[in-house]
Amino acid sequence: MDAMELINFYLVPGIVVGSIYALGAVGITLVFAILRYAHLAHGDLATFGAFLALGVVTLGGVSPYVALPVAMAVTAAVAVGIDRTFYAYLRERPKIVTVMASLGVALMVRAVVQIVWGVDSQTYTRGIVRPENWFGIRIRDREIVTVLAMIALVVALQLFLKYSKWGKAMRAMSDNPDLALLSGVDNRKVVLLTWTIVGGLCAAAGVFLGLNYELKALMGWTMLLPMFAAAILGGVGRVEGAVLGGLIVGIAEEMSALFLPTEYKAATAFAILLLMLLVRPTGLLKGKVL
Amino acid sequence: MRTFRIAAAAALLGATALAAPAHADVKIGLLGGVSGPIAAMAPAMIDSANLAISQVNDAGGILDGQKLVGVVGDSACNPQNATDAATKAVNIEGVVAVVGPHCSGAVLAAANSVTIPAGIVIVTPSGTSPEITSLKDNDTVFRTVPSDDFQGRALARTLLERGTKKVAVAYLNNDYGKGLAESFRAEFEAQGGEIAGYAAHEGEKASYRSNLADLASGGADTLVILDYGDGSGLTMLRQALENGFFENFVGADGMKSDAPIKELGAENLETFLASAPVGEQSTSLDAFSKAFSDIGGDPSAIFVTTSYDAAFMLALAIEKAGGDKAKVAASLREISNGEGEPILPGEWAKAKELIAAGTAIDYKGAAGEHNFDEAGDVPGAYALFRVSGNGFEVVSEMK
Repeated sequence: MDAMELINFYLVPGIVVGSIYALGAVGITLVFAILRYAHLAHGDLATFGAFLALGVVTLGGVSPYVALPVAMAVTAAVAVGIDRTFYAYLRERPKIVTVMASLGVALMVRAVVQIVWGVDSQTYTRGIVRPENWFGIRIRDREIVTVLAMIALVVALQLFLKYSKWGKAMRAMSDNPDLALLSGVDNRKVVLLTWTIVGGLCAAAGVFLGLNYELKALMGWTMLLPMFAAAILGGVGRVEGAVLGGLIVGIAEEMSALFLPTEYKAATAFAILLLMLLVRPTGLLKGKVL
Repeated sequence: MRTFRIAAAAALLGATALAAPAHADVKIGLLGGVSGPIAAMAPAMIDSANLAISQVNDAGGILDGQKLVGVVGDSACNPQNATDAATKAVNIEGVVAVVGPHCSGAVLAAANSVTIPAGIVIVTPSGTSPEITSLKDNDTVFRTVPSDDFQGRALARTLLERGTKKVAVAYLNNDYGKGLAESFRAEFEAQGGEIAGYAAHEGEKASYRSNLADLASGGADTLVILDYGDGSGLTMLRQALENGFFENFVGADGMKSDAPIKELGAENLETFLASAPVGEQSTSLDAFSKAFSDIGGDPSAIFVTTSYDAAFMLALAIEKAGGDKAKVAASLREISNGEGEPILPGEWAKAKELIAAGTAIDYKGAAGEHNFDEAGDVPGAYALFRVSGNGFEVVSEMK
């Protein structure tokens, strides 16, 4: 095998799927850092966002890129609504109750998707897209867009967290919730803001997943494990860690086909997760929560 | 108020207690992959089973004029959901027999953990894994679709006949994919073909490019995909086409789904072939096709004939057994053993009379004669299909 083949068939797909994992993992890490629980409905919320964009594409006849902001906005609103309806009520209870509730929410969201859009595999645009050849590297436009959009979203999020007033409030909540409350940070607003951002990121992950592959009712659920693996690998609570983790998990999954029988590809994320928890539970970049 | 509530509850209870014996419906379970990787196929299959049920009810009902009711359960094409759905059907709904589940892994799980212990007969219209043959099932597991052992071998012989001597095989890592792949490989190699790549893959992953690159490195230009066309089979087919890993694609019955045509476009699928069981032309098939078209169904959709036959045969068996769960299996063999008065699809009134008179009947199904062998299997006929327009058309019969 030559270097080009390695890049085209193992590295490029790894980076693309890794970028999608990264978008999901950033959301998971934010919920972990600020609200302190594992959000199991994350994948299905991404599915919801992806199908929402499909609705916009079919009804409005626009490209999925135009549908993306719409899907992000609506999914953000839905995420806030879910928090208000289900999680807010459980805020004072042990966190494991909320984790279990989020599993229930995952099933509900999936059921809604199945009822509204059906259970068939669907795509934003019919037909196939052959990749362009850039000096031997075969890559599609949508793959470049996926990676660039991931970087743009994460940079914007980092800037927001670092320099804006509310970003600082979110970081304060994540570092020390009691101190933040005592210092006058409005808990409710921070939670609302967190869910808005997480909902938007979820939808982005879902739309890019659907754009590069297919839309299926179970697409988000099956991405949940790699996304969690990515968040833990990078260090829970670290946005840049989640991105790094996502890329590593994505590339490792694709590269695993070189060394292992391909049926073990799906187990790669499991293996990384286990190894990381065993060797360095704080993650590559030292996580804030675990 | 309290008294009123108690009175109302008592009245309701009384009403159900009174009503129960007179209108006790006879329930059969219709377990299918309503969600999951074969979701595109399942609705038509359930519709055709429901056609058989409505024909029974329209022609006088079952046993003493009771209504036959199909209870739909989602086995989701996976073992866990199938077990749950079967448990619910058997223990809560109290079904007498089950049509389904649709996928092989689902059949094995539901049979081993629920229906065999409960002694409930199940007839799967589409569970094709060779594993099902060897289930220790006390003669309660049947199928109206032939085992993939036949299909894998027939596909291997047909490809060699068409001049394809070297292939790579990608199969889904479940009972369906594995069983099919093993029998395909055995026959293909025995007849002098070369397998240049042979790998399983997990379903529902986003990217299969590395898998495909691995398979393509063997130098074959034909990829045999033994997977579901509405699940990861579609993803694989798309990525193989987009990246030009292979030129020709061959699938089995799972890939003969509308999803690839709908999502990839017929113009991109000119080199795609799929094998599938076919009903041999018969008056039975015509009778079914007409009845199914009349209710708006597509009689050429995959597994509709086998689903219909499974439901209709179970109705006949229940009638013959007098509603006794324990006798359904034996009756199922009796109503279709090649001896007796022929019964065609839809001829419920005639069958009911003959059964009442004690005459032997022999059901001639839309998908075939269905004379079960000892393991509850039926032999099959297959054809090779290619994409044409927005559907599939037969290329050749498969021997």
